[in-house]
Amino acid sequence: MSFEQGLQWMTWLLCWSLGLQCVEYLRTQHMTSAQGVWAWSVQQADIPMSNPGMRALLEKLYSPVWHSTHLWLRFYVVVSMGVSGVNLGAVMFLFASTLLILVRWRGAFNGGSDFMSLVVLTGLLIEEVLRVLLAPELAAKAGLWYVTIHAISSYFVSGWVKLMRPEWRSGRALTIFLNGGVYGPLPQNSLLRHPRLAQLGSWAFILWEGFSPLALLHPLLALPFCAIAALFHGLVFWYFGLNRFFWAWMASFPAILACSGTLGWPF
Amino acid sequence: MSSRLTLVWIALYFLLLLLTLRWSSKIIRGPWLFLLRAFFPNWKFFHAVGYVPHLYVRHLGPEASWADWHWVYPRRPRRLWHLVHNTDVNLALAEQNLLDHFANDLNDLPEGEDARQLVTYQLVDRLVRFDLDRRLGAGAWQGYQFEVRMERSNAQGIEATETMLRSPECTA
Repeated sequence: MSFEQGLQWMTWLLCWSLGLQCVEYLRTQHMTSAQGVWAWSVQQADIPMSNPGMRALLEKLYSPVWHSTHLWLRFYVVVSMGVSGVNLGAVMFLFASTLLILVRWRGAFNGGSDFMSLVVLTGLLIEEVLRVLLAPELAAKAGLWYVTIHAISSYFVSGWVKLMRPEWRSGRALTIFLNGGVYGPLPQNSLLRHPRLAQLGSWAFILWEGFSPLALLHPLLALPFCAIAALFHGLVFWYFGLNRFFWAWMASFPAILACSGTLGWPF
Repeated sequence: MSSRLTLVWIALYFLLLLLTLRWSSKIIRGPWLFLLRAFFPNWKFFHAVGYVPHLYVRHLGPEASWADWHWVYPRRPRRLWHLVHNTDVNLALAEQNLLDHFANDLNDLPEGEDARQLVTYQLVDRLVRFDLDRRLGAGAWQGYQFEVRMERSNAQGIEATETMLRSPECTA
């Protein structure tokens, strides 16, 4: 996959992911209204701000009408970018809009998926800013490498921290977490309750995650890596309901595929 | 040559990343860092099994008697179309995250301080009211009380419980 193709696919997948998120945000507005759980009247005490002008601005931006307008505008920009391609103005708007939404949800609505969406968006921002100064190919390369390093780091860290924990090495953690999942608990006769199978599953994913940097060496390694990653995120959705994780990480795969092998085979 | 050098740098980066996982460094905290933590992702998901906060609620019924404690925990039926649209589950997970942050705030609260001043306490209090309306219907309860319990699970279920906070009895 060339850098230009990688950029194009990353943009489409990010737009799809952000579009789905936006529809969900639009449907959560009752929770951020004055009567909702996350009422701004309560939550604003979280903001360490002495400037009354800034405080008033945020109060205005997070008022139901403005918040709703903001979300609809975000949806429109996401769809436009998906249809007509990436441009600096759209990416800057989405970046600022993401920050506003993150602050509104006390730093994150859905944890890791928010973080990865921001990573991919930042990659596009890097590409668009550098395009003004550098050749398009080089700008695309910089943006895609930014996303790739973060995406591979996410698997790498996740794998190694598990490897350091005895409960993951024994497979016990897998059963416990699956029991606690939103679609859980596991049925009593589930194979994943079997300690040996749970251990096998744990080790399979720990090793795959821990050795994720190898995917950078060749497209023939990156392709199966991304296929297994899609399966992994599919399972995470299946057991934990984390649909946003699936699409947020999918948006990073074109970057991994475009960057893999570009540094040459070292052996 | 430059590609090979870049490859070496990338390998060194991952090696350094691995080393940082072994070190336990001082955690830098701050309200803005908390709100903008998306810029500093640590990518540690589901990494440790241990005590996690659970929310329990009981309500005062129309006959002025207290109901049993109810565990407010996200459990939903699985649907394939949730892959593209899952508002309800994501909100339920956001509620659980709020509880995690509340438990962290309680841990950090200086001895003798009133927890009710915490933003997270007030948000959880609203969550409790919201949950009662959702489960029982508005007007079906006259009062409520909630507990945050730190609970540890094993493969069979919850194996240990410690009550971290019990709210005062509140009216509707």
